[in-house]
Amino acid sequence: MRNCSGIWRNAGAAILAPATLATWAALAALAALAGMLLPGAALAQGQGQDKSAPLSQVQRLGRAPVNKEVLRVQLPRPTVAKLKNGLTIVLEEDHKLPTIAFTMWIHPGQLADPGGLPGLASFTAGMLREGTEKRTSEQIASEVDSLGASLDASSRFGVSYTSVNASGLITDAAKILDLMSDVVLHPSFPESELAKYKQSEEASLEQRLANPAFLGQQGFRRVIYGDTPMALASATKESIAKISVEDLQRFHEKHYVPGNTILGVTGDFKASEMRAAIEKYFGAWTGAAEAPEKFAATVAPQATKITLVDRPASVQTYIIVGDRAIRRTDPEYYGLAVMNQVLGGGPQARLFLDLREEHSLTYGSYSRFNAEIYPGDWLAFAPVRTPVTSDAMDRFLYEFKKINSEPVPPEEMDDAHRAIIASFALSLEQPAQILNDWLTVQYYGLPVDYWDKYPDHIGGIDTAGVQATAKKFVDLDHLQWICVGDRKEIEGVLKKYGPVSVVDVTGKAEN
Amino acid sequence: MNVMGKMRAAAIAGLGLALGFGGVLSAAPGQEQAASAGVKVPKLEFRDVKLDNGLRVILVADHSAPVYGIDVCYNVGSRNERPGRTGFAHLFEHMMFEGSENVAKGEHYVLVFNNGGNMNGTTNEDRTTYFEELPKNQLDLGLFLEADRMRALTVTQEKLDNQRNAVQEERRQSIDNQPYGRAQLDVDSLAYDNFAYKHSTIGSMSDLNAASVDDVKDFFRIYYAPNNAVLTLVGDFDPDEALAKVKKYFGVIPAQPAPPKVDLNEEPHYGERREVIYDPLARLPEIDMAYHIPAGNTPENYAAQQLTYVLGQGESSRFYQRLVKEKQLASEVRVQADTRIGTSQLYISANPRPGVKLEDLEKAIDEEIAAVVKSGVTPEELAKAKSQLLRQFIERRRSALFTAILIGNYTVYFNDPNLINTIVDKEHAVTLEEVNAVAKKYLVTDQRAVVITYPAAYEKASSKGAQ
Repeated sequence: MRNCSGIWRNAGAAILAPATLATWAALAALAALAGMLLPGAALAQGQGQDKSAPLSQVQRLGRAPVNKEVLRVQLPRPTVAKLKNGLTIVLEEDHKLPTIAFTMWIHPGQLADPGGLPGLASFTAGMLREGTEKRTSEQIASEVDSLGASLDASSRFGVSYTSVNASGLITDAAKILDLMSDVVLHPSFPESELAKYKQSEEASLEQRLANPAFLGQQGFRRVIYGDTPMALASATKESIAKISVEDLQRFHEKHYVPGNTILGVTGDFKASEMRAAIEKYFGAWTGAAEAPEKFAATVAPQATKITLVDRPASVQTYIIVGDRAIRRTDPEYYGLAVMNQVLGGGPQARLFLDLREEHSLTYGSYSRFNAEIYPGDWLAFAPVRTPVTSDAMDRFLYEFKKINSEPVPPEEMDDAHRAIIASFALSLEQPAQILNDWLTVQYYGLPVDYWDKYPDHIGGIDTAGVQATAKKFVDLDHLQWICVGDRKEIEGVLKKYGPVSVVDVTGKAEN
Repeated sequence: MNVMGKMRAAAIAGLGLALGFGGVLSAAPGQEQAASAGVKVPKLEFRDVKLDNGLRVILVADHSAPVYGIDVCYNVGSRNERPGRTGFAHLFEHMMFEGSENVAKGEHYVLVFNNGGNMNGTTNEDRTTYFEELPKNQLDLGLFLEADRMRALTVTQEKLDNQRNAVQEERRQSIDNQPYGRAQLDVDSLAYDNFAYKHSTIGSMSDLNAASVDDVKDFFRIYYAPNNAVLTLVGDFDPDEALAKVKKYFGVIPAQPAPPKVDLNEEPHYGERREVIYDPLARLPEIDMAYHIPAGNTPENYAAQQLTYVLGQGESSRFYQRLVKEKQLASEVRVQADTRIGTSQLYISANPRPGVKLEDLEKAIDEEIAAVVKSGVTPEELAKAKSQLLRQFIERRRSALFTAILIGNYTVYFNDPNLINTIVDKEHAVTLEEVNAVAKKYLVTDQRAVVITYPAAYEKASSKGAQ
């Protein structure tokens, strides 16, 4: 049962990456699955080692047989349509296995949490399964499990839409659609179920506050996003107590409308028949799209500082460092994708090779970025044993300076391009991933030929492009550090990297 | 086409439904029915070849995507470790990524990821497995990488020290710096007497410190021989061509004497075993229980799997409905039966809600267990468990790589690659009587281990109270 899940594991991925580069997410949990039992691991995007790095123990013998040709593939185009009521549907046939999967994105999700009620979007989504006009919570659970199906809804913090996912065997497609449409369109939010839900959320909050990766994320979002809804990482004790049935009803009525929604389906069906089925179950749904939110295109930079999240008895410091970055539609997306690939996109990237393979400080260090409808963030992270906290921060700074000041060598550039482009072949066996890629196109309003042109855009980022991206985003004067660890062990060493403020696990300032 | 014993009738009858979607859409909403009716799991045709050096090779052509998965599963895990060297099988796994005669340290990562691939390796009690998935035009690359390290691993003190650190950080990250980390390890050490499964796969810090370069060299010679491994390839290739390449890359590696056998026999226990931990990183208490069940791939283990679904899988399960929803004692209950080569465990793990006493939660769990032992499960519950298992298995078959990993596991664990085709039958064949008999025979208090974790603050509070 206690599997050692993998030579590498991007442990922060599940928590820290909401809607980033989609292609690799489908492979999440592979290492854990290989152990057949434990869930939870996740993989990142991969690439890029540095030949010229002094002392780097990674050298190339170049003796392995590599096919120099990149296998270029095209993502199969889905059927896309807008129903009369404004619901956008994206249908992707896949006939390998007798299954079906529905994915619904309902704008605006957590960003619409009213002030004073953090978690309302998340509560609304979580309560969908707890009763409808014609089914009790227990009936829904029993129907879903009897089909061996899945049905879940969530509104993750920092993500601009609520997700509803339902999947099962193709022979049960009609029953699954019926269940899904019932919980999305007709939830009854029973008072008694809300009381139970609150108790379970209270317990979840306690468990999250014990988890260093969550504490890091919570601290990072607060620092990066300041006084905005994006700064939230979870509901609070106060909001859990406060949220009422009326709040849920209001949120549902206002935001759960077809004009705000994209429904994607992949599986062993004919698109024409699926469209008719969707019209049957969702055709009567009404409500126009809400006006898009306005976000400032640029954000005032903050001087470098350190937030120490005091977690007594920790034997590691969980380090996150990063800054604000871009929106999903910004042209800088490609440059950031390639730069991230070189810096920290996997075990072959600079951070992993430096912090783990060369300096023995961590089990793994990676970087990632989150691009949304608002200017998102990029970050790098590593959990390190407490006594080497400062050494690890020095290595981060070394790698950040290097990618700022030294052009990435041509071979490493070539690697980064090839890694991203060639990995599309693997996504072809993951229909859920392909569907997710097309939902991304629809949701963010990208061109229909976006994925056809993506490889050329990636290939078009050259050394100068990576350096310009690094200079802009990996900005040494504006790094925001979050260190989750035992205050009495690390506070002293942190001071040499900038002003330190100390908070407890709930985010409250400590003296 | 499809051969599945009892499943056959259903599979053929359901063919029309599986292909034509329209007819299903009129089904009455809310009607509960076993999902297995009418679904056909495509059978895999495979080649099963043994090379002269003893390497067993399984080949499955699957042209649904332009990729292939490769898995090399070695018949060695932490069960093969000796006292004083716990954690070594896993530390060794790390060394397999540190370079071989024709691959430099770290070059493995570079070659796989920069050619669009994905890779990893994992170790558990019973086996160590290494895998890559790559675009189909890189078939030689995956084979070369696996063959080179099986043939000529390069080991140095510097590399060992580096990976010892990586593994110790892995242990801190997943165990020592997490709430309930110690409970995870202690429940197995309490549940087993036989050293093979009693100690943890991650190992102790002091044993990891003791590992030497000579240990690595010995382990490599004894366990990392072609005759102690299974190579599985699944994906978009021509099996004849692929087999020729396998012979070219792996055929030259010499066989070694068979490794020593490990005694996995676990004598029955008499009397419940119990331990209390005060955990400074936990904010809520936790109870972890383990009950002995028979080895994997036995009728009783299959029955135990279904029992765990009835008890704890999905929101309609007994524990969720009674303990989380109805009585509101638990925030979460996790149930899982593992499938080992030897004596396995049925684990139950639960956290009380804030303000609920752990003893009250334990009592409620015991009542549920007593109820299932006394009255058994219902036919509806069993049908539901089977639907869930079938669905889960079908999803696992989606990826070429994961299919390869599964076949490698089945072959090393149970000497049966064809389990990839028959496991659905075996799960389907489990009867209500078998599940009920397993509940009675194995959910026995005398045979269980219990680890209770309290937040450390509770200990301070109770010692203050005693003064």
